[in-house]
Amino acid sequence: MKTLMVMLVLARAATAGEPKDLPACPTKSDAPDLAQLLTRVEKSMQGSSSIGTVTMTIKTTKWTRTLKMKMWGKGEDYALVRILEGGPREKGMMTLKRDKQLWNYLPQAGRVMKVPSGMLGDSWMGSDFTNDDLVHGTSIVRDFDAKLVSQTKAAWRVDLVPRKNATVVWDKIEVTLDRATCVPVLERFYDEDGKVARTMTFGDIRSIGWRHFPAKLTVKPSEAGRETSIAYDSIELDIDVPDDTFSLRRLQQGR
Amino acid sequence: MLLRLAWRNIWRNRRRTIISLLALAMGVMAIISIHSFRISANEVIVEAVTRGLVGDVQVHARGYQDEPELDKVVPAPAVVDAMLAAFVPSARTERRVIGGGLASASDAATSALVLGIEPEKPDARALVKIERGRWLAPRAAGEAARAAARGDDRPPAREAVIGKTLANELGVTVGGEVVLVSQAADGSLANERYTVVGLGDVGNEDANATSVFLHIQDAQELFALGTGVHQIIVRGSDDATRMRALLDPSLEVVSWTQIIPDLKSSMDSKERNSRLLDLIVFLIVALGILNTMTMATFERTRELGVLAALGTRRRRILAMILIESLMLGVLGFAIGLALAFALLTGLGTTSMGGFGNAEFMGVRMPETIDMTIQSGPVIKSAIISALTMLAGGLIPAIRAARQNPIDAMRHV
Repeated sequence: MKTLMVMLVLARAATAGEPKDLPACPTKSDAPDLAQLLTRVEKSMQGSSSIGTVTMTIKTTKWTRTLKMKMWGKGEDYALVRILEGGPREKGMMTLKRDKQLWNYLPQAGRVMKVPSGMLGDSWMGSDFTNDDLVHGTSIVRDFDAKLVSQTKAAWRVDLVPRKNATVVWDKIEVTLDRATCVPVLERFYDEDGKVARTMTFGDIRSIGWRHFPAKLTVKPSEAGRETSIAYDSIELDIDVPDDTFSLRRLQQGR
Repeated sequence: MLLRLAWRNIWRNRRRTIISLLALAMGVMAIISIHSFRISANEVIVEAVTRGLVGDVQVHARGYQDEPELDKVVPAPAVVDAMLAAFVPSARTERRVIGGGLASASDAATSALVLGIEPEKPDARALVKIERGRWLAPRAAGEAARAAARGDDRPPAREAVIGKTLANELGVTVGGEVVLVSQAADGSLANERYTVVGLGDVGNEDANATSVFLHIQDAQELFALGTGVHQIIVRGSDDATRMRALLDPSLEVVSWTQIIPDLKSSMDSKERNSRLLDLIVFLIVALGILNTMTMATFERTRELGVLAALGTRRRRILAMILIESLMLGVLGFAIGLALAFALLTGLGTTSMGGFGNAEFMGVRMPETIDMTIQSGPVIKSAIISALTMLAGGLIPAIRAARQNPIDAMRHV
């Protein structure tokens, strides 16, 4: 049943055609135009807007938790995450991003908490994803300088170094991009000591309309035994999302 | 007879004797004062530490000291309390839950250290100096359970006392509310709202800027710990060995010297340094005395020769000179003691020097201490000065006693 729903949703998204101004995937090129390539990557991963439901699984050596959530996104500036199922404390929890600001709605406390901007790189709700990951706070096109490091027949390897004014917690991100689909396969995040702080792997790549979309993301921090994955149960991209979805007042009311 | 002779002898060269006495007295004074200062300071520090957050001894789940983690708890603190109450009657215990989190109010949020404590206990009450509002309301044992039995799922009001700097940062005051967010021990997302009932001074700036005090039951609930606690603070007894033997081996018992090894080792190294100082001071004094006594006997070579010729036994000559030296010692020591006493009483309250205002484990050291003369260094310096005088006097005394009376009398 669930698969059927996913298929239906995917079918709906498939009806939208590839935007005309979108650079094509330069599969054959050994020296792709990185700006265009990354624009395509970002567009296909995020779309101009999206509504998705995901299952997040957080594993540590001591416990495993599963959260079901719904995510809305619009452009770079708006995002909302709502926990639909989880423990009694988490159900109804929300994270809202408007412009550069972030708020959490805490259902048990019945209050909204503004997340200090310094905590964008901190863990989102105890997972191994950061707040920034969840709400797409940074843009690989706008916030990073890219350099093609190496390539194989199957993949390009691109290093992303944050630009000066970007609010990025990483020192460097190594991205491995699949040449056939223009979708990342693996990202390695380096901290300021030059050590790999976490790796993100992308899997379950589905074809949705013109785009390829990784429906499963797994983050492994350097800490042994921890892992968080997000699996999309459904995703609709480039669809109409009403503006009041991202209303702070609605968040404060816990709706 | 010998005593009177010796007494008269030492005053024959008044100036030299006074200088020697002063040298010794200064040495004695320096040593007594330095050690007394050190010991007084240590007492104050240990008192501050054990009275504060650290306590004399702490009981944790094994491994907590090296790597504190939210889920490492003492599962049944009541058992520990009962064991200690039965077998170490002087011990007072106080339970703690400690966790990190994010505290927020209106539009501000900052990281906080959440301390669940037993507000009913005077030791816990003493941790915070309330500046506005009041301390956390005591809660009778079992109140939460009774409330739950009544079907009241929001039993007693959740109260918080927060550090004054944190209150400023969050823009809350007494009567306001603060929201705490954290990850609980079971991985769930702890989030709860508390009414701020008091703002206080926790003793140092860091603590004032981060501390949130909750009733221990509220903290246990927030962090999903059940009846578990992270620390059981023991005061009134520092017998960690005995407690270790009494308690379940799954618990660790650590004394404050293990909790703040830096403080202990700094105290130890200060003691070692001052011992070296003792040695140097008395070596100098001993050389001075040796010089004085050598001169004193050398000057009297002929006189001593006459004494010997008159039939005074060598042993008596030896004894006489040693007594002279000892008399110098006793006098010098007495003067030194008096000076030290005058100095310490005169100083009365003094600055703590290197330790002043320093912090160990969130305990701010007092800036000043009350100086008291310590019996330890007094006894020590008495023994050392006696030995010094004997050592300084022995060589000249032996030499004088061994002299051939005829050679001695010919001596010019």
